[in-house]
Amino acid sequence: MLPNFRYVKPRSLAEAIEHAAIPGAVLHGGGTDLLGFLRDGVAGANTVVSLSGLAELRGLREERGRLRIGALTTVAELAASPAVMHVLPGLAQAAAAVASPQLRNQGTVGGNLCQKPRCWYYRGDFHCLRKGGDTCFAATGENQYHCIFGGESCVYVHPSDLAPMLVALGALARLAGPSGSRVVPVEKFFVLPEEDFTRETVLEPGEVLTEVVIPLPPKATRTSYRKVRTRGAWDFALVGVALAVSWDGQLVRDARVVLAGVAPIPWRAAGADNALRGVRVTPAEAARAAEAAVVGARPLAMNAYKVDLVRNLVRETLQALV
Amino acid sequence: MGDGGAYFIAGALPQTEAPALEATPWGATEVVGHRLPRVDAYERVSGTAVYPLDVLLPDMLYAGILRCPHAHARVKKLDLTSARDMPGVRAVIGAGTPGGEIPWYQVRGRAFSRLFDEHCRHEGEEVAAVAAETPYQVFDALRAIAVDYEVLPFVVDEERARASGAPPVHDSGNRVGEPAVYERGDVAAGFAAAAAVVERTFRTSCEVHAPMEAHGSVVRWDGNRLTVWDTTQGVFAVQGEVARALGLPLANVRVIGHYMGGGFGSKLEAGKYTVIAALLARATARPVKLFLPREDVFLATGNRPANLMTVKLGAAKDGTLTALEFSSLGSTGAYPYSAATSFMASELYSCANVRTRDETVFTNAGKARPMRAPGFPQCAWALEQAMDELAGKLGIDPLALRLKNVPATAQRRGNQPYTTAGLADCLRRGAEAFGWDRSRRPRHGGSKRRGVGVAACFWGYAGGPPSTVIVKLFADGSVNLNMGAADIGTGTKTVMAQVVAEELGTPLERISIEHADTGTTQFATPSGGSKTVPSDSPAVRAAALEVRRKLLAMAADEMKVPAEELTLRGGEVVAKSDPAAKLAVSAVPGLQRQGALVGVGTRAPNPEGVVTAPFAAHFAEVEVDTATGEVRVLRVVAAQDSGRVLNRLTFANQTFGGVVMGIGFGLTEERVLDRNTGKMANANWHDYKIPTMLDVPIDQQCVPIDRPDDAFNSTGTKGLGEPATIPTAAAIANAVFHATGVRVADAPITPARFLQAAAQKEG
Repeated sequence: MLPNFRYVKPRSLAEAIEHAAIPGAVLHGGGTDLLGFLRDGVAGANTVVSLSGLAELRGLREERGRLRIGALTTVAELAASPAVMHVLPGLAQAAAAVASPQLRNQGTVGGNLCQKPRCWYYRGDFHCLRKGGDTCFAATGENQYHCIFGGESCVYVHPSDLAPMLVALGALARLAGPSGSRVVPVEKFFVLPEEDFTRETVLEPGEVLTEVVIPLPPKATRTSYRKVRTRGAWDFALVGVALAVSWDGQLVRDARVVLAGVAPIPWRAAGADNALRGVRVTPAEAARAAEAAVVGARPLAMNAYKVDLVRNLVRETLQALV
Repeated sequence: MGDGGAYFIAGALPQTEAPALEATPWGATEVVGHRLPRVDAYERVSGTAVYPLDVLLPDMLYAGILRCPHAHARVKKLDLTSARDMPGVRAVIGAGTPGGEIPWYQVRGRAFSRLFDEHCRHEGEEVAAVAAETPYQVFDALRAIAVDYEVLPFVVDEERARASGAPPVHDSGNRVGEPAVYERGDVAAGFAAAAAVVERTFRTSCEVHAPMEAHGSVVRWDGNRLTVWDTTQGVFAVQGEVARALGLPLANVRVIGHYMGGGFGSKLEAGKYTVIAALLARATARPVKLFLPREDVFLATGNRPANLMTVKLGAAKDGTLTALEFSSLGSTGAYPYSAATSFMASELYSCANVRTRDETVFTNAGKARPMRAPGFPQCAWALEQAMDELAGKLGIDPLALRLKNVPATAQRRGNQPYTTAGLADCLRRGAEAFGWDRSRRPRHGGSKRRGVGVAACFWGYAGGPPSTVIVKLFADGSVNLNMGAADIGTGTKTVMAQVVAEELGTPLERISIEHADTGTTQFATPSGGSKTVPSDSPAVRAAALEVRRKLLAMAADEMKVPAEELTLRGGEVVAKSDPAAKLAVSAVPGLQRQGALVGVGTRAPNPEGVVTAPFAAHFAEVEVDTATGEVRVLRVVAAQDSGRVLNRLTFANQTFGGVVMGIGFGLTEERVLDRNTGKMANANWHDYKIPTMLDVPIDQQCVPIDRPDDAFNSTGTKGLGEPATIPTAAAIANAVFHATGVRVADAPITPARFLQAAAQKEG
């Protein structure tokens, strides 16, 4: 059952920011994450601020070499956009890999980036560290779906498929708040538990993610997103690999390898990026980059398979991109 | 047999008398056997079908149950007063209020618990309940109930449960009876004589039934008579248990179960929720609706136990099995049930020297319930993978190895012959439809590999009496079919109407069906155990035959043609010798005078000295991405020997449903209990992964053997629901091995498990 809350549907962004600044307020985009979150009693909310009346937050447009994606653009729109499919196929692939058709129709890009963790202890009837308890149940419990990188004190994995691709593309997030608007790289939008385990993003009270801006990459850039999950739909990534590789003839000019399903934030495999720069992607080089991607992995008791999965997936997806 | 076939029979049931008329086997049929859509398709698709969850009564209250959040705890203090004072709350009950002491989970006179027991032995055990004007008021009131728990040590792992020093689930210990051992021949000598021996331990995960319609009831009292709309597989089972719990005469409990949204074995018995709803309704003098939220369904409405099974097989050079050893450990959860799996291992293949051992333990988890072929899919997972390994070791084709060992008799049941035995047919005809020989050739490729696998089964129960059915022919020639059996989504109503139509020549749209109502229909056992068609369709046929006999006798008078020379076709009585001589059924004067003709049909006893069993063989082709462990099922062929096919369409539907469920068992579904708290980590639709459309191949083929088993019953039918799911997962596992050389012994084969098994093989 949903708990009791006040529902407001502001007519302007300024009004939305005002409501969002009220302690205990939560933002409602498509609601696909929020409503389940509230229904499951993970945390309460005294006010639900619907953004659905803010038409200016909807839609995609290309403008001066940048793709601007309004936060209320649905994941389905992103997946089906000819512009995205043509220029950034990896982003379209990531969008198409999200959840299920129904959820993609309803879920928004902004909401996808602001999802709460999907750790089953956090979502379930367990008073875990993140909910104000004193234990991370996953650290010594059923942690087959948890992280192999970056898990200090809280070992969830970031659930978004879009986020790793956006990080790979060097996208920017625009945040509007009570004291004006600011722009942060999507890469810096997420917060590791070791920095602050009470939040997942840098959003301050009253701040609203309004759009994502992607600088369109040079022509000789290829992107891809590959997701492995337990079942064919309606499932989060065991591991996902987002690639954005630009070429200089046969050689890699620049590469970004970003992983989903392995860390509490979209995880940049900087070692793989470095290994790829300036090389020709032969099977041996792909394998070398894949090996670099798992350096530093610290699997938990039940998720060592994720190390194999990252290694194999990075290798295979790199070779497929050539 | 005690291994899961007879679970739906509460004690010894009376036999119904043999029907008055001898029914000769059908030869060719006109309605039976055809591809016909469901008689209730429109209602189901349009939303006009009223499921118990849809029932709304005037003045109705809503109710909910407060459940123990701990795997094992004792309620030290339960304070219901604050909830009673909440807005809209009309009743709050729990341990200490009337009815809380009602004995529950009774086996041979011993009650292992009570309706509300202070000793909570699993997460989700019932602690208190509330009835209020709205669902939200129920929700708020449940949270206002103050409970002080003493949290106790728990055990949720079946191996730990049987170790010494494990926390006891019951004072009597964690064993559900002594291990059951079965033996024939000389096992040691059999292995000594073997040219090849394989041995491996397999594990299956605990699955939950997860029906679309949650468990629940709507109840209403009229004086001391109780009416229950229940989502159930068996209205008479619920009637009996509710009447006993409440101390009511059976005649005062009417249970209605017309439509229901899936059960798979979890709705064969009465739930506590029905009795709790009845107590709340009595306390408030209002109708009460109590349906469980999804979390509660996961926690407290049954499951298929996880099993740990070790199989050892020995065979001569030519593949003849010389010895078979099978041992199984499983958990029933906190209350008694059987987690045995060995039965199929001792009868599927011919083997003189066999030893099996089944051990069931208690754990602090929700009680297991029968789930679509209890024990058999687990057994197939282990036995059929072991057969595959044995074939590999002997260098014999896995299909040939199975055909080599087809048994002549039911070896664990006194070597009695089968009335019809379709194992060899299923293997041969399935292989032919699948293109086994061609598909079996090795193929090369990169990280994506294709492979094929086969697995077979029988199902251990065939149905039988009692069943009583009434068929009523009205003056206008329309017909009412009155039967107690539930249609749990399988098409029972449709195929039974076809049986009536076959005998009376009535068009299906002129047959109405009254079913699954203890107030208006005749006693039937629950729809489970793949036995509804073989148990009840002969009774339907007998009732229709009685009507036919009466009608033809009346028509014979009018037409001056002997009754035995008359037949019924398209609503008319027709002379066999002279098709021009005919009379509309509605014009038969005797029928007009009487208003209606009634036929009562019963299910004759099963033949003695023989065994009846349905058989199946499933063939699967998979593609495995060895880099990621992703397994895609490309196609499945399911060959099913279930006797005569009553409806080609519902037959295929049920087979495909079984295959889909088998894919979930083999690839995606597992209940996860947290090792540190004993609580379920994935009690929701998202984390408990039922296969989606993308996990199920569009290329599924059902191959019915369609050989009437006329020695068994008058419709020649055997069951289908369970043999349609038993071997699927094992066939997939064998295909995964064929594709990759990796044997994944633990179900389900998730990417994680495949990669782990692949790493172990290399490592």
